[in-house]
Amino acid sequence: MAVSLFTEIRLLLGKEWKSEFRRRDHFAALVIYLLSTLFICYLSFEKIADGQTWGALLWVTGLFTSFNAMHKALDSAQQPQLLHLYTLARPSAVIVSRCIYHALQIAILNVCSLFLFLLFFGDAVLAKMDWGQLITGLLLGSTGLGITLTFVASLAQKTGNGVGLMAILGFPLVIPLLITIVKFTRLAIEGVTWASNGYQLMLLAVLNVLAIVLAYLLFPYLWRE
Amino acid sequence: MKMHFGFKILCAILLMYVAVFAFLTPLSPALLQSDLSEIQPGEHTFTLTGYNTHFDGASTNALYLINDSTLSFPCTIEEVIDHSHLRARVTLPQEIHSKAFAFVLNNDVDGTVFLESPLKVDGFSLNSQLQPMEMPRFQQREASFFSYPYQPIIMESIRNLMWHVPMWFTMFFLMIMSLVQSVKVLLKGQRDGDKAAVMIDPDQVRPHDNKAAVSAAVGMVFCILGLVTGSVWARFTWGTWWTRDPQLNGALAVFIVYAAYFILRNSIQQEENKWKLSAIYNIFACILMFVLLMVLPRFTEGLHPGKSGNPAFSQYDLDSSLRTIFYPATVGFILLGYWMYHIRLRILKIEQEHENLLV
Repeated sequence: MAVSLFTEIRLLLGKEWKSEFRRRDHFAALVIYLLSTLFICYLSFEKIADGQTWGALLWVTGLFTSFNAMHKALDSAQQPQLLHLYTLARPSAVIVSRCIYHALQIAILNVCSLFLFLLFFGDAVLAKMDWGQLITGLLLGSTGLGITLTFVASLAQKTGNGVGLMAILGFPLVIPLLITIVKFTRLAIEGVTWASNGYQLMLLAVLNVLAIVLAYLLFPYLWRE
Repeated sequence: MKMHFGFKILCAILLMYVAVFAFLTPLSPALLQSDLSEIQPGEHTFTLTGYNTHFDGASTNALYLINDSTLSFPCTIEEVIDHSHLRARVTLPQEIHSKAFAFVLNNDVDGTVFLESPLKVDGFSLNSQLQPMEMPRFQQREASFFSYPYQPIIMESIRNLMWHVPMWFTMFFLMIMSLVQSVKVLLKGQRDGDKAAVMIDPDQVRPHDNKAAVSAAVGMVFCILGLVTGSVWARFTWGTWWTRDPQLNGALAVFIVYAAYFILRNSIQQEENKWKLSAIYNIFACILMFVLLMVLPRFTEGLHPGKSGNPAFSQYDLDSSLRTIFYPATVGFILLGYWMYHIRLRILKIEQEHENLLV
């Protein structure tokens, strides 16, 4: 194999992007899902008076959107085609490219979600917010969710009962990430300094690294059937 | 299968030792309160309440009111009401050293007991230059090899230390055992290179999968026991069955993670697939357990000892006497967990052989 791991990942990412572009309705469906979820939140909450609720709601909607974004990894209809593709590529390249792809997708969705939050709920509670921290948290949280859920989706898909198991296996596994990111976001909204939010930032980084290392090590056992 | 009696006997002996000492040892004597709330110079009569003390059984009770470790005022004991109540009288001068007062009582049964009393001090003149008085000296009571230190609020519930904490050690032990077996499943279940036609040998992998599943199941039992004992303890010390504490919520999350592991196992029909997928999930689950119970609580404020300014248990246990029960309890419960695992594993094997016979 003359192609390096790096090139393989790049090519696979390109392939993911092309297939995504060909099925633009998938992404549109996700955005509509996000929009309607937030619209329901807007109608039921009316207004959000404190930063804690704001941050928690942002991540709860982010979590559900992320689970929905996994439909592609769960779609077993395209499995034969993928199998052929994956005989050409290394499993590590496959999982890394999938993780990067889903992390990016979820990050984009979460940024959309942030704009919709600002539109529906205004920025009254965000007067003291540190935007740098919020965006960092949004990105790190998205990558963590993306990596963990990509792995869980590949696992659930192998059971033949993907959609049903996805939630059962995925929710418990993202609890630590979610606890940390909600706390990080709350502190960012309260406007604390980077130093006093450092523990959360470090934990987020550690959880991200842990997820990608585990996915990288365990995926080779998983994919070839 | 070989029978291992040794560890079972050791387990039974250790747990019996723990049960006897953890329940039968009385709490160390202590002074609970006095009915003296406000003091002025002059004479005061007050009632002192003790806990597990033997005022009436002792030959002499020597009681002092100590002012800031420099002045000591002997109290005259007027009446010993019962083993835990006595009435005494003390005369205080005009000049005292500071506002900090403490009662010190010594008798031949209880040894020396202290009570730092938050007294409202009124009408004294404070003089920090006062000549220190000679402090009463008591003979140290011979320490028994094990006693429960008296702690306010925790009080008698300190006995739960011997049950609640070993549950978590046992759970960790069993979950790590499960992790090791899951890693073995993955290593043994690996096919050689690209030869997909080479079937893996089920008899090589199935025992490890059985062990992983059974030890995780027994670990879940200890997780439930840890949650229940913790919840009871929380009720009597923190005042609620469940509260926002990172260790509590982490433990519940661990329970959910492992519950998902069993749902995953039960939802896969094809055996080879089941071994592999559940092993992979189990590795994730075990690492998550460490994150939830060891890493996250360190970065979150909580109510457990050793956190947010709460003293750790090792600080209550100045003479390390709690350890003489705590370590045997930990070892005993780990052995009990292993014993339960052993029995469950044998039951599973018999069931599987039975099924094979039917097929």
